[in-house]
Amino acid sequence: MATVNIEHLTYAPDHQDPVLKDLTATFLGGRFSLLTGPSGSGKTTLLRLIAGLTPLPTGATLTFNGQPLAAQSPQQRSQTVALLFQEPSTQFTMDTVTNELRFALENQQVSPAAMPGKIDAALAFVGITDLRDRNLMQLSGGEQQKVALAIIVAMDSDVILLDEPFASIDPATRQTLLDRLVKLCRDQGKTIILADHDLSGYAQWIDHLTVLHAGQVTTLSVAATQARLAAFTPERLQLTHVQLPTAQDKSCFEAKGFGLSQNDRTLILPEDLPLLTHKTTLITGPNGSGKSTFFRSLVRLGRYQGTITYQGRDIQRIRRRTYARHVSLMFQSATAQFLNVTVAEELALSQRYGNATYFTPDRIQAALAQLDLSGRDEQIIYSLSSGQQKKLQLLCMLMMAPEVLLLDEPFKGLDLNSIQAALTLLTTTQRDLDLTLIIISHQLGGLSPYVDYHLDLAHQQLTYQGVTA
Amino acid sequence: MNPSLKLALVVLIALEISFTQVWTVNVALIVISLVILGLNRIHIRTLVWLTVVPLFFASALIWSLMLRGNATPHFLIVLFTRMFVYVYLGATFTQTTVPLELTRSLEQNAKLPAKFAYGFLAAFNLFPKIKAEVATVHAAAMMRGQVLHFWSPQLYFKVILTAMNWSDQLASAMMSHGFVEWAPRTYAINVPLRTRDWVIFGASLLLVQIGLFIGLP
Repeated sequence: MATVNIEHLTYAPDHQDPVLKDLTATFLGGRFSLLTGPSGSGKTTLLRLIAGLTPLPTGATLTFNGQPLAAQSPQQRSQTVALLFQEPSTQFTMDTVTNELRFALENQQVSPAAMPGKIDAALAFVGITDLRDRNLMQLSGGEQQKVALAIIVAMDSDVILLDEPFASIDPATRQTLLDRLVKLCRDQGKTIILADHDLSGYAQWIDHLTVLHAGQVTTLSVAATQARLAAFTPERLQLTHVQLPTAQDKSCFEAKGFGLSQNDRTLILPEDLPLLTHKTTLITGPNGSGKSTFFRSLVRLGRYQGTITYQGRDIQRIRRRTYARHVSLMFQSATAQFLNVTVAEELALSQRYGNATYFTPDRIQAALAQLDLSGRDEQIIYSLSSGQQKKLQLLCMLMMAPEVLLLDEPFKGLDLNSIQAALTLLTTTQRDLDLTLIIISHQLGGLSPYVDYHLDLAHQQLTYQGVTA
Repeated sequence: MNPSLKLALVVLIALEISFTQVWTVNVALIVISLVILGLNRIHIRTLVWLTVVPLFFASALIWSLMLRGNATPHFLIVLFTRMFVYVYLGATFTQTTVPLELTRSLEQNAKLPAKFAYGFLAAFNLFPKIKAEVATVHAAAMMRGQVLHFWSPQLYFKVILTAMNWSDQLASAMMSHGFVEWAPRTYAINVPLRTRDWVIFGASLLLVQIGLFIGLP
């Protein structure tokens, strides 16, 4: 059991205002702490500092059971604290699951004879023994997070930090991981600090919510914590307005005999499917079921079986350049979308080629204010927080105003206020410009009033879901 | 054969034939490489690529030297065959070596600092990612109304930027899994350096020396 103690931590990224201001906090040993706060409030920064991935600024102290991290030998450090990243695919060095586990254990100077036992135990604990020899890059985000947790279990770290580990994970996987974490905390006395926006499912585990706001950490009382968590009751996550498409509904895409597979694994069995025009369609489904791959085939970035037609024409026969202006994809990873360096340059690009008659400079400024991105014109995109990048990405794509906009997890890593702002912007633009929106999202809170159709990807089949009144 | 020793052998032979002009040895090396590649069941497509590309450059070089300059036919044959020796020797190495094994061997047998060994592995693993990234940047640009050609500096600027981002992420990933520069590590899998490896190494070098000695005018 290790208690984490932080005192007088002030941290400012290069040439920017401080994110953390004289922060003092204690995370009790053997407890499950839930850390929340608006996007850009510095949750990732704080966790990286605790994990020792970012050097501690002078004047600040950070101790584990009274001992600073620097006082420990290198191989002890990973036994003291480990971090599970927000972006699943970026936390591995090696090619396969076993090799990555070996790599971590080698670093801890575990004897080769003891390795297989530890590896088996860690994989079994998380329930992913069957992933043992799989290639890491071919796993879905949820599977990758499970592997990352198994590595932390194998390393036997006392303090486990998790930076929005469920941001792109389906509810079932989230529940499995959460269950494992609680077990680690209860049975093995691990200290767990988890940063999350989505507060659902924590009520039974958390007594005191930790809030990071304006560079300071505050711990809420039991009553205040329960009130905050109650705002995320599962009832709010139901879709109430969706309907089944009828024969009269006009479609923009028609898929015929459409099927998807990846690395010899079937994702979607061949089927016929219309996607409806001028409407908002939500696509849900477990992690790794092929939702993103489906989007990539719609924008011709991947192979598929069968044909897809857009407004009656085979999409493979339309000129790439023309097609890209009609059907655009908001990538799941925000940085993939950006082509420039600063916020202003990025907005200027969208303004030049996008719908400038609708997105006047005034409207853009208003949208920036709405998204809490004002005054960041000269900031380098890559120094924005992941939530801020996501909001900027959404605005840039809306300014392009393509007829069909595919959005892959547009609300990933956004706090509740940001989601509301993003949704307002999204729906106003859609209504005014009559766009077709197709959204993949695990985040369903607040989405319900805006969704017209709901496609669920389960058992290798995309099917429309309707609400039976 | 031990990967580090194999790498050393290939580099040494390549260096040696760069400074000598014996075309018979070059041809012998080409034949031996082709036999090894054949035994390792190289794909015909790969082999065709490995032949066509150097053939183009070698022919261009020879042609230009024939038009201008006063190189002897002997020298031209040496140059022509040398190009293929490089390519096929390199191919025998890459086709018969698993990157991870080479990394482990470099760390354990060649005593290369772990940081470099794993840096090499990471760079190798990055290639397919870069290819996918270029396609994505292309598509992302088109959706924003910009057409990036393969000569557009913006395309490479973006790819380099992403690669730099990856290198930061990789450093974090390695650290979070307990990697510390210069810290001692254990090895899950031992890469043996056997007497047999040294014998093959020594014998191969000796054969090349004998060939060069006999072939020298």
